[in-house]
Amino acid sequence: MLPADCSSRLVAELRDALDSCAQRQRQLERSLRISRRLLRAWEPAKTPVPEPTPGPETDEEVPSSACSPSPQDLKELELLTQVLEKAVRVRKGISKAGGDKAPTVKSESTATSPATRASTRLRASDWTGSHASETKPPRGIRQTRVPAKDLSEHRLVSVEDPACIGRGARAAKLEPSRRSQETVPLAAPQAREVFTLKDKGILLQLPVAFRKAASQNSRLWAQLSSTHTSDSGDAATTAKNHFLQKMQTTSGWPSSRLSPAEVEAEVGRLQKACSLLRLRMGEELTADPKDWMQEYRCLLTLEGLQALAGQCLHRLQELRTAVVEQQLEPWPEGRLPRASSPCGGGADTIRSPPLLLYSSTQELQTLAALRLRVAMLNQQIHLEKVLMAELLPLVREQEPLGPPWLALCRAVHSLLCEGGERFLTILREDEPAD
Amino acid sequence: MGRRRRRRVDPADAARALPEAIAVLTRTLPTGPSPETFRRAKFDRPEAAPALWRLLFCVLSPMPADGASPSLALEAQARSVKAALRFQGYPRRALAQLPDDGSQGGRELLLALAWLLARGPTLEQLLAQSRVRLGDEMPVCECESLASPGPAVPSVEADGCVDIRHLQWLMGKLRFRWRKLMASQQEQCALLGKIHSYTRGCHSDRSLGHLSVTETELLRDPEGGQQLLQRLERENVRLEAALEWRRRELVFWQWMDTVLGACPPEASQPTFLPKIPAQGAAELELVVRELQALQEELQGVAETRPYDPFDLLVDTWAPPASLHEQDWVGGHGPEWSASRRALQEAVRQDLVALQWAWERGGGLAQPHGPHRLVRTEAGAPEGRGLQATEVIEVLRSREACLEVVLGQLQGQCRQELARLVGTLPGLIWIPPPGR
Repeated sequence: MLPADCSSRLVAELRDALDSCAQRQRQLERSLRISRRLLRAWEPAKTPVPEPTPGPETDEEVPSSACSPSPQDLKELELLTQVLEKAVRVRKGISKAGGDKAPTVKSESTATSPATRASTRLRASDWTGSHASETKPPRGIRQTRVPAKDLSEHRLVSVEDPACIGRGARAAKLEPSRRSQETVPLAAPQAREVFTLKDKGILLQLPVAFRKAASQNSRLWAQLSSTHTSDSGDAATTAKNHFLQKMQTTSGWPSSRLSPAEVEAEVGRLQKACSLLRLRMGEELTADPKDWMQEYRCLLTLEGLQALAGQCLHRLQELRTAVVEQQLEPWPEGRLPRASSPCGGGADTIRSPPLLLYSSTQELQTLAALRLRVAMLNQQIHLEKVLMAELLPLVREQEPLGPPWLALCRAVHSLLCEGGERFLTILREDEPAD
Repeated sequence: MGRRRRRRVDPADAARALPEAIAVLTRTLPTGPSPETFRRAKFDRPEAAPALWRLLFCVLSPMPADGASPSLALEAQARSVKAALRFQGYPRRALAQLPDDGSQGGRELLLALAWLLARGPTLEQLLAQSRVRLGDEMPVCECESLASPGPAVPSVEADGCVDIRHLQWLMGKLRFRWRKLMASQQEQCALLGKIHSYTRGCHSDRSLGHLSVTETELLRDPEGGQQLLQRLERENVRLEAALEWRRRELVFWQWMDTVLGACPPEASQPTFLPKIPAQGAAELELVVRELQALQEELQGVAETRPYDPFDLLVDTWAPPASLHEQDWVGGHGPEWSASRRALQEAVRQDLVALQWAWERGGGLAQPHGPHRLVRTEAGAPEGRGLQATEVIEVLRSREACLEVVLGQLQGQCRQELARLVGTLPGLIWIPPPGR
């Protein structure tokens, strides 16, 4: 068993790492759900009822009152269906006398009733629903090719589909004119109208209100960032500095006092310095100089690195004493997560985010995989350092007696040297029994 | 260049300027308190306090990315605000002494708010953090992964001692989670690629060319789209207010001076703040140890060198053709010194650049922050944005560096353990295969 303080620190670190992984996973799964749903069949909500001829562009400015059929339209539709039914009856009567047209008529009659029943049912059941959900207008979908395609595929609007008001009305209107061309399937399953992104994605169009808002948004962001960089309002800046100064002087604390945020930022920078210096040292040591100039340069660089390392160490020690002297609480408990990202881009990209262009899915996957790999390596390195700091002293301190220590050694070796993936074997030579 | 307006300000205008400025400010803030709250706060009225606590909480801790933060009670918010301000180095102690229940302290909170606004581009940062993201974005730097991972877990687990096997188990769990993450990420990229290619040519903005997931989603789901539109419009209002604030803020700062003047002066003796042991101090120690180790290594390398590296060179290398033998050995001659000086200068500049890499965050040449993903045909004209291939190269070199570092650390451990165990007789140490 490990001592308590060591255990708690290590467990806390590992739990931290696990939690950050879990957080990423949650975000990814959310995005995955949305993307998967988008690639299945769905109904783009759209503006209603264009003229029943193929090739019209839907007018995206159609106000919402037209989105759902008005009572006027409904009445007209009722009248129309009544007229059609009457026509069918008449034709039936004629065909009974006739006989050639029987099959067509039968199909026509059966065509009318399910279609009209479907459309009336649709209208009745879903109208209230759509009224509630139909808010501000325009959704667009270019109907250029869709109607003809609809009909040629003999699709009937499925009754359960709530968003199909417009289509239902249109289908009912179109049906009479195209009935002769249709052979309506009599079987119960009515083919659902299918929109998939794959087939018809390129027909989509963003609604106008949204487009306007989005362009205004990017314009305002550009304005905000440009005035920011031009640093307008010198008077305001001086006033601000004056205020800050006054706050400092009235508070009774010396202005040279470092805030915990500054200390943490500096420690982070020095840590980065350490890894950069180490990397550079490694490069110089493994370089193979081809002539005297290269070797001289290499030696000079190593000297310079040593000087820099000394400077950084000195600065760290200054920070350490400052923290102690000022009775600073370096990192108070319960502090909020880092509010502003340390990312330099965060301050500068107060404009529309710049673009990242990729040309194939493969490329995107490689990019994402590399990002994750770099993040994982960073985490592993951090954990490695923490584990080293805690576990190696344990191994050193304990007296090398017997199996418990050997088991510890083996476990520590696997954790520190193999990333916990592999284990080594320790063989003991036979000892005389004690 | 600032335009100085010289027209005479008549009193009515001046009287209006302040309330208007405050009104503009409240429009830009996330949970804008009413302008009346500000006025009450100046006179330290207690009813102003809760709204200001909440506002400060919002400013200091923006919504986390996944929006999963539960809303806290006022006391908890107040405590968080105090801790955050202390962390940032807020100078006035009176705030720390305010009660957590939000019953007093309007003026002090107002001062804190003004302090935050004065120190940095707070309003712009707030807006940027909560901005509506319309595209599929991916960050190109690792700054966020290196930042402290989420809220600190302050409480010590009541587990007490654990066995090392528990640690091994946790490590295994961590490895599994990473694998799962990689697989999910690959799937997401494949789906994104499809969505982008299926919606080619739909976007009104020609430079983008295709829709993003957010935009497609708004077409699928009208209610969600409506909410998105409302959020966009709200953001536009805030942005306009922020632009107007820039024109009007001077009068606000003048007013804040008077507010500060109305406060009683604080005692000059700093009260004793109890030291809380925290992981930050441990971090500092870690870095100290790392740097010390590095310094020792560099010193070790230096000891194998003669004082003047030039002596080494003279023995090892043949002189360049342009120099006489004696000049080479003696290290004299104008050509010599010129070359030496040139090299010294080059190395000096190199090291300065290296120093900048950690002091200024790698310079602004490196791309930072989230970028919007846009699918284009290969070989499309450049200049529109960052190319994925460039980022991939940078990431690959970064990956290689990190692998080297990790390998070095593991090697160090191996050596150390071998040393510790090697002192014992009668043990055979068989390393695992595959190395």
